[in-house]
Amino acid sequence: MNPTNEAIQLEAARALVNALEAGDKTESASQLALLTQTQESDLFHQVGKLTRELHEALNNFNLDNRLADLTENDMPNTRERLNYVIRTTEEAAHKTLSYIDKTLPLASELKHTAEKINASWHRFRMREMTADEFRSMSKEIESYLPEVTNHSDQIHANLSEMMLAQGFQDLTGQVISQVINLVEEVEDNLVRLIKVSGKQKEHKNNVNEKVDPIKAEGPQINQENNVNVVNNQDEVDDLLSSLGF
Amino acid sequence: MKILIVDDFSTMRRIIKNLLRDLGFNNTVEADDGLTALPILQAGGIDFLVTDWNMPGMQGIDLLKAVRADEKLASLPVLMVTAETKREQIITAAQAGVNGYIVKPFTAATLKEKIDKIFERIEAQQ
Repeated sequence: MNPTNEAIQLEAARALVNALEAGDKTESASQLALLTQTQESDLFHQVGKLTRELHEALNNFNLDNRLADLTENDMPNTRERLNYVIRTTEEAAHKTLSYIDKTLPLASELKHTAEKINASWHRFRMREMTADEFRSMSKEIESYLPEVTNHSDQIHANLSEMMLAQGFQDLTGQVISQVINLVEEVEDNLVRLIKVSGKQKEHKNNVNEKVDPIKAEGPQINQENNVNVVNNQDEVDDLLSSLGF
Repeated sequence: MKILIVDDFSTMRRIIKNLLRDLGFNNTVEADDGLTALPILQAGGIDFLVTDWNMPGMQGIDLLKAVRADEKLASLPVLMVTAETKREQIITAAQAGVNGYIVKPFTAATLKEKIDKIFERIEAQQ
C-alpha cells in the first residue's frame, strides 16, 4: 500500500465515521466507495508486481537455455578440442622423438670415426706408423671430412624439425585458452542458475551476439568437414592466387 | 634487415626467430601483441613484420590495418603466420594488404619460400 493511498483511506475512514455519526447516508456511501476504490488500486498494484516477477522468472528460463546450449553444443565441442590437444601433443612428441632417434646415430658415427682417426694420428705423431698405415689413415681422413659436413647438415636439419615441432605449444595453448573460457562461462551460468532457483535476482538478458565472420578462432578442430576453412598451405596459396596474389 | 616478430606465444616467437636466423636474418625484435608492436614499428627501423593473428590486446589483422593506415609504415612488408584458416579471414587479410599468409603448423621451407616471394615482388616493383 502506498503512502498516498494510506492517507486517502485514513481521510475517507474519518469522513465515513463522521458521516455515520451524523446520519448522513449519502456522504457515508460516497466515503465507503472511495475506501473500496483505493483498496482495489492496491490489489492492481500487487497483480502488477506479480506479473513483473513472472516475466523475470520467464526471462531467467532463457538464461537456462544458454546453459542447455552450452551442454548440448559447446561441451561436445570441448571434448573434440581436448582430443585435438592430446592428438597434437602426441604427434609433436613422436615427431621430436623420431628426429632424436635419427640424430643420435649421426652424432655417434662422427664420434666413433673421430676417435679412430685420433688414435691413428697419435701413432703417426709417435712415428709408430708404417707407410701403408699412413695411406690408409689419409683415405680415412679424406672420407671423414665430407662426412662431417653431411652429418652436420643433417643434424642441423633434424634439430630445426624438432624446433618446429615445438609449435604445438602455441596451437594447443590457443585451444586450451578457449576451453578455460568455456569452463568459466559454464561456471558463471551455474552460479546464476543457483541464484535463480534460490532467490529471484535481477539478471541481464542474454543478447544474441552478432557473429563476426573473421573473429579469431585459433586452430580449426574439424577443418576437413568445414568448407569455410582451408586445410593446408596449398589451399591458402590457391585462395590468395585466385585473389590476384 | 631488421625484422619484428609478433606472437603472444613466446615458444612460437623463438621458433620463428631461430628459423629466420637460419635464413640469415640475425637482426630480430619481438613483441607479444599488436599494442606492443605498434610503438616499436612507429619508432622506426623495422624492415619486415611477421605477425600472428589471434592475440590478446590488438590482433594481427588490426595491426596490419594500423600499419597500412600509417603513412610512414604503409609500405612495410607484412607476413602473417597464423592458425586462422577460415577463407573469409584469408580474404580479409589479403584485402587489408598482407604480403604473405602462412598457416600453422608450417615448415622451414614454407617460411623461406614466402619470404623469398615477398622480396622478389618488392624488387620487381622497384
